[in-house]
Amino acid sequence: MSEKTRKSKRVVKVFRYDPAVGGDGHFDRFDLDIEDESITTILDVLLRIQREHDSSLGFRYSCRISMCGSCGVVVNGNEALACQTVVANLKEGEITIRPLNHFPVIRDLVVDMDPFFKNFDKALSFFEPAEKLKEPAIISPDSKERRLIADYTECITCGCCVSSCTMANWHEDYLGPGALNRAFTLLLDSRDGLHDERLARVLSGCYNCRTELNCTEVCPKEISPTRSLKYIQMLAAKNAFKKVDVVDIEDKATEIATEVPVEAITPEVSRRRFLSRITLGLGGIIAVLIGGLMAATSLVPAMRKRAEKWVKVGKVDAFPVGIVKTVPISYRVKDGIYESTVTKPVFVYRESDSDGITVFNSRCTHLACVLHWDDNKKLFLCDCHGGQFYPDGRVKAGPPPRAMDRYPTKVENGNILVREA
Amino acid sequence: MEQNEKIQYRSPLRRGELDPNRWRNTQIGMWAWLWQRISALAIIIFLGIHLTLPYRPLIQFLLLLTVTFHVVLGLRVILMDFGIVHTKYQKALVGGLAALGIVMFIIVWMGIY
Repeated sequence: MSEKTRKSKRVVKVFRYDPAVGGDGHFDRFDLDIEDESITTILDVLLRIQREHDSSLGFRYSCRISMCGSCGVVVNGNEALACQTVVANLKEGEITIRPLNHFPVIRDLVVDMDPFFKNFDKALSFFEPAEKLKEPAIISPDSKERRLIADYTECITCGCCVSSCTMANWHEDYLGPGALNRAFTLLLDSRDGLHDERLARVLSGCYNCRTELNCTEVCPKEISPTRSLKYIQMLAAKNAFKKVDVVDIEDKATEIATEVPVEAITPEVSRRRFLSRITLGLGGIIAVLIGGLMAATSLVPAMRKRAEKWVKVGKVDAFPVGIVKTVPISYRVKDGIYESTVTKPVFVYRESDSDGITVFNSRCTHLACVLHWDDNKKLFLCDCHGGQFYPDGRVKAGPPPRAMDRYPTKVENGNILVREA
Repeated sequence: MEQNEKIQYRSPLRRGELDPNRWRNTQIGMWAWLWQRISALAIIIFLGIHLTLPYRPLIQFLLLLTVTFHVVLGLRVILMDFGIVHTKYQKALVGGLAALGIVMFIIVWMGIY
């Protein structure tokens, strides 16, 4: 804030609504000479308008030191406390003052905060001790709960957060940032006797946040309700498999139970529980079915002892001694319910007259590219990465880590057979 | 209560209703949310094109761009969801992650071409 006096003329537009007239409301324009902007708040502006221009202007205020939370308004499009907003900090030019969003307007800048506090009720916004202690409970300032809660108990329920929230308008079940922040401070409190009940209620109304952080931006107490809300959602994840029922809290706190609309919430939540169970159940059945099918098709063929399959390569006589010949073999393969014919080349090398027939797998031992026989070089060559093999299968050059694979072979009735799988 | 029933309330003002500063005051968080959803749709479209017409530099560029954008905004939410980064750094988080995203984008793009 500047040290020197900022004297100015400001146009202030204030939203007006008269319940006796009804309608949509309108803006009234007031021209004000401000002596020193750096020591003038919006509340001062409103008071001056009421005293000097229009005594019928309605607005709320009480403490004037941002403690009571009753003067929340929308100044130039941003929610703020009138008493905390200094005119010098606003942009030059017009100032627009509107009532808070998402609350019925009673008159001018005065709104009905009932929806706000109803949500506080739903979240059980009061403290109920787990044990009746005679002495104050000792919570160390550097304990985890105290550090997490921090100054989030400072909420003055001004309603700015709900007004700034774009989601509060669209989801009736959504408890809104204010109520959820209060619930957060109580949920973390180790003395809290209503933890499970509160959690159950809060969880039914905390998933509409879209992380826009408008509430965090506008909170006059610099609380981040988004952070509180995220913490509650984490609690939900931690308690995902814990049975959390909305129980009748009368058993625990008879004196306050009457104020809490238990009936209003119980059926909603039990329907929710029913639906979530159905969803989980159906999801489980589908998962088991698909998982079972996949497991069966992938594991069963591997476990089943397959009959040895001998595939015919050709007549022994068709392979002259000392020559490598490439021949295709083909056979049927049954994979689960899928049956297909596999055709692939093999290399047959006959060393001597009697036996000594070698059948090589045509796959390179490096990355399984198909090899080919080069009759001029007398080598098996791989086009992919330049692997080279001698006629007896040993590696000559390139990346292959081992000699070529050979098929088990046998000769029956003058036919060469190789064992495939 | 009796008195309240006689008073005719005005229906709640919606956010931005009768607000000349509507767009200027839209916070970065809302844009982050909205643009992440839009980029999700863009990913579906570009991924579809990418699969039908593979290896087209323009489509690869657009797909990588939208994916980077989506990831940046998604990481922002994840980091805050699990309390890894305090929500009070949310604005810095958008800028910081966007800068990181651009760097990663350039590295990946240079790697491809």
